[in-house]
Amino acid sequence: MPGLGAKLQAMPKQIIYLVLITVTTIPLFFDVAVPNEPLEATQDYYATLEQLPEGSRVLMASDWTGSTRGESKGAFRSTLNILIRRKAKIAFYSTADPQAPRVAQDAINELNAERRRANLPEFKRWEDWISLGYFPDSEAANNGIANDLQGAFSGRKDFPPGAPPRDVFQSPVLEGITKVGQIPLLLIVTASKTSNFTVERIKPDRKTGYPKLLFAVTGVMVPETQVFYQSKQIAGYCGGLKGVYDLEQLMENGINFPSKKEAVVKSDKYDVVPGYPSPSNKGQGTRYYPTLHFALALMILLVIVGNIGMALSKREARS
Amino acid sequence: MLLAQVAVERGFWSEAPNSPALWTKLSICLIIGLAVMVGLMFVPVRARRPIIGMCTFIAGLYWVLLYVWPKPIDRQPDEAPLNAVEGVAIWLEESNKFVVSFTQILTALLLGLGIFSLLTIHLGKIRRRHPDALFSGVLLASMLLMITFGYWDYNQRQGEAGALLDNPANWTFVQYSRDFLFQGFLQEMDAAMFSIIAFYILSAAYRAFRLRSVEATILLAAALLVLVSLMGAVSSAWDTQVRAIANGNPFVLNFQLSEISMWIRNTFQTSSIRGIQFGVGIGALAMGLRIWLGLERTGGQD
Repeated sequence: MPGLGAKLQAMPKQIIYLVLITVTTIPLFFDVAVPNEPLEATQDYYATLEQLPEGSRVLMASDWTGSTRGESKGAFRSTLNILIRRKAKIAFYSTADPQAPRVAQDAINELNAERRRANLPEFKRWEDWISLGYFPDSEAANNGIANDLQGAFSGRKDFPPGAPPRDVFQSPVLEGITKVGQIPLLLIVTASKTSNFTVERIKPDRKTGYPKLLFAVTGVMVPETQVFYQSKQIAGYCGGLKGVYDLEQLMENGINFPSKKEAVVKSDKYDVVPGYPSPSNKGQGTRYYPTLHFALALMILLVIVGNIGMALSKREARS
Repeated sequence: MLLAQVAVERGFWSEAPNSPALWTKLSICLIIGLAVMVGLMFVPVRARRPIIGMCTFIAGLYWVLLYVWPKPIDRQPDEAPLNAVEGVAIWLEESNKFVVSFTQILTALLLGLGIFSLLTIHLGKIRRRHPDALFSGVLLASMLLMITFGYWDYNQRQGEAGALLDNPANWTFVQYSRDFLFQGFLQEMDAAMFSIIAFYILSAAYRAFRLRSVEATILLAAALLVLVSLMGAVSSAWDTQVRAIANGNPFVLNFQLSEISMWIRNTFQTSSIRGIQFGVGIGALAMGLRIWLGLERTGGQD
């Protein structure tokens, strides 16, 4: 007859799976407001986006697909919402997965459908954004962007409204752009190593300091991204679901906003970075963070239970 | 308001879409490519290595030169080179777009190779009436359906109504089918497959994470601290209590979970990752040099 120690160490996996399904599913049905303090890296990410001059041109690599949409889609949507507010003109491209451009376009279409329902102006193709499509070799694409941006994107076409596809350099998004140093921001939403290739290949222009690099990465990529953030090679990053939740909270509360005394999020690094309180700030991060919370709690609990089981087994063996 | 049409520079590398010159060049390239492939198949085994080595060296030489060759600073687009060194630098820079395009095309061919490999394996299984032939059939039918509706949708978007199809109100049967297959099936299954990892991680953490040694204890303690710091409710409550107790004392403030977790990340984690990346980088450089200079002896024997 196995003792308590052995039992605690050998819980059937079916029960573990059932508990996991329960604790991760139940929070999805309730609006749970989890207290949170945004990380410094996400604050820098948000502040860099907010400090972007209005109407800036942005290069955005969308290197995520359905597999990581739990994290990446939330980061993509929140970032887009901020950039739309900054009236940014965005050129999307993908270097990680052939599915990625379609996934990004579908996410933009979804966002536009929501904007139409809310009577907000649409994020217009050709005028506000273009899709440069897929580049199969990430290293070559980043080399091309760094050395000859026009060459790297030559021959790519997108759709002006009511007209056949035209060269992307004729669009307001890339008009007059000849090198990457003219673009204030290069942003990557990624679930793969494309962020590493970018930071290895693309250096800011000596005169303008452009492009600043911002990464929105998945949770497992946070440790390697922290290396680039710590060495100031990137201006900030939004890491995993916690990063998305941080970002949504920053969109709502700002930093030192409305004043340092009354602010929800305080920082000595910035003066005032405004927030824009709105129910639309509550996106995927707010919806899924409680689930992550309970999943982490369950993991910690199970590790503790397993170790108690091991300690009890040792004691039983000795006695 | 649309911008005026910008004249696209035509030359040896650029022909007008659908022009006879473009199709002629494409056909010639295809014939030459096929001839080279067939020719390589008949080349004696001993001669293959020098051919591959030469191609590899030339391909690598461009990137090495682009990186190490001195570049003119702040050169204007219409400025002529001052000397031969600048001339080479400008030639390397101007060749970049062709080399990048060529690399992209070459990598894209790997997708075709993947499809060819997939077809060979699964058609073979169906032909041999393998026990898993049904799954092979489903896979090939799914691929065919996705390609059909993907290209059908793509073709419809090439006309003047291309941008209008971004709005679901203008969709036809083709767009609904593409969306159903791509978003409704593929992306959902992709997400489901990835979600399954959570079950394995949880089960593995429960069974494997034991305090069996000092090292394991340190590892577990660090992991738990970082995990707890990601739980906003716990870390916020803890940090608020610490701040209240500290009353501005900087030493006590170090015991906030967010501070401890950032200390672990910035001190141990990033330095470890840097070390690993340096090692990987040096290894990749050594391996790259061996392949580039044809010193790598493994592979390519037959």
